[in-house]
Amino acid sequence: MLVLLFILFAGLAIGCGLAVVAQRNPLYSAISLIGVFISLACLYVMLAAPFIAAVQVIVYAGAIMVLVVFVIMLLNVEQEERGRARLKFLVPTAVALSAILIAEVAFILVTVQEFRVNPSSAPSNVGLTHSIGTQLFTRYLLPFEITSILLLMAIVGAMTLARRGGLLSPNARVVPGAQVLPLSMVDPNAEPDDLTPVAADTSEEAARTLGVTKRD
Amino acid sequence: MDTAIDIVLKLVAITVAFTVVLLIVAYTVLAERRVLGLIQGRLGPNRVGYGGVLQPFADLLKFILKEDIVPDKSTRFIYFLAPVIATMAALMTMIVYPFGPEIAIPFTNITIPLTIARFDIGLLYVLGITSIGVYGIMLAGWSSNNKYSLMGGLRSSAQMISYELALGMSLIGVIMMAGTLDLGQVVENQSGWHGTHWYILFQPLGFVIYLIAAIAETNRVPFDLPEAETELVAGFHTEYSAMKFALFFLAEYINMFTVSMLATTLFFGGWNVPFLDLIFARGTFLFGLVSALGFVFKICVFLFIYIWLRGTLPRFRFDQLMNFGWKILLPLALLNIFITATLIYFFPNL
Repeated sequence: MLVLLFILFAGLAIGCGLAVVAQRNPLYSAISLIGVFISLACLYVMLAAPFIAAVQVIVYAGAIMVLVVFVIMLLNVEQEERGRARLKFLVPTAVALSAILIAEVAFILVTVQEFRVNPSSAPSNVGLTHSIGTQLFTRYLLPFEITSILLLMAIVGAMTLARRGGLLSPNARVVPGAQVLPLSMVDPNAEPDDLTPVAADTSEEAARTLGVTKRD
Repeated sequence: MDTAIDIVLKLVAITVAFTVVLLIVAYTVLAERRVLGLIQGRLGPNRVGYGGVLQPFADLLKFILKEDIVPDKSTRFIYFLAPVIATMAALMTMIVYPFGPEIAIPFTNITIPLTIARFDIGLLYVLGITSIGVYGIMLAGWSSNNKYSLMGGLRSSAQMISYELALGMSLIGVIMMAGTLDLGQVVENQSGWHGTHWYILFQPLGFVIYLIAAIAETNRVPFDLPEAETELVAGFHTEYSAMKFALFFLAEYINMFTVSMLATTLFFGGWNVPFLDLIFARGTFLFGLVSALGFVFKICVFLFIYIWLRGTLPRFRFDQLMNFGWKILLPLALLNIFITATLIYFFPNL
């Protein structure tokens, strides 16, 4: 029974994984990737790691891939054009890297068979919520906190890059991504209802257009 | 042999639970139309059967018999897949909820649990499956090849990502108090004080945040921007007709039902009916039956609140929606976690 389920989900994972690479339409690739994540979650459940399975679905399938699909839909990426591969050097690189990977897998298979140990019959509690929580907040507290600060920095960095309009007054309300703004929003000295459109990608550019000094 | 009996029993339980839930959902649609009629000073559908009780079946028949139109330039496969994902994700969360306590069948010595499956990550399972549900709406919007649908799909995904955070955070207070993610255990923890030890007494802020975020997650008024009919025709399901539209409709109402179930389970004591253990002994058949009915009653109260809100509130604007989710709900949810942690540290026996 377990073997049958394993074959089913492993097959699904591999099939979806191949589809991610083979599909020409980016949205199909994204959907296949969701399939991979969900099959992996099922495999985690079979390995008695329900917490990891749930987190896999919530974080990867439910949050990250939603963003990926969102971006594909928003940019309306057309089907990738066939032929004229611009990055030709990637083909030999890929062949070399996959050769190394296959060699690695073969090496592991051989060595594992040499040092085979009997799998312990006692149920492991590695993947359970309680044990993960305990370990994360006691033994691995420092790496855990460092990782969260790293993620916070990434978010702040992304926000800074996305909102490069440095001239905006602090109480201005800007739609993220908008580059054409009314003059009154950009220049604090302008009339409040001056709706002259101003296009600016960077604060320097905006400052030059308006002939004002950049505020810090 | 035992596994075979187990599987058959589970299948029976699933069938019974899904039938009951779908019936309640069907009558929620009717109740919504009648209550909206009441609020707006008109009658609502009252012609099919006595007072309109057969209206859901008439609607179903109409949905089946209508012509099913597929847009010419739609992406066929995904267009068909989207309503299936939406409905499946909505139905799949149903299996972890405890509908009642263990119930003893009269005249035999068999006790059956009124839960289909019980595992120690029940709550995470619910959140995970719910987060899959958004793909139904997104893919429907994309595959229809219609700009209104696309706008609806985009809005929906942005909205659901934003409010999922607040939703998850608002539940952490309850999880910290219960010390478990197993929904059955959470309900049993609330059975103290003769069944009135409900977590709403300790988590009022968490509950309010949950309720608001849950309404946003189910795309209901006042958060129904993905299908805002004054701007987007019908949003993500503009191009869907007949039974495929009915599946989206169904998914929305099942989602309403499941978030009501989650609210009841986590904040309102699940199947605990106050002071019931003074009348019937725990573990008897009548205790189980009344408890299960109490659970359904509490859900119906939440469903009524949904309908009431729809009849009362206007729709948010999109920037208001985003500001509200990120700048008000999320910080409040974090504050709730902080307060709960402090209280648990100083009063561990509460």
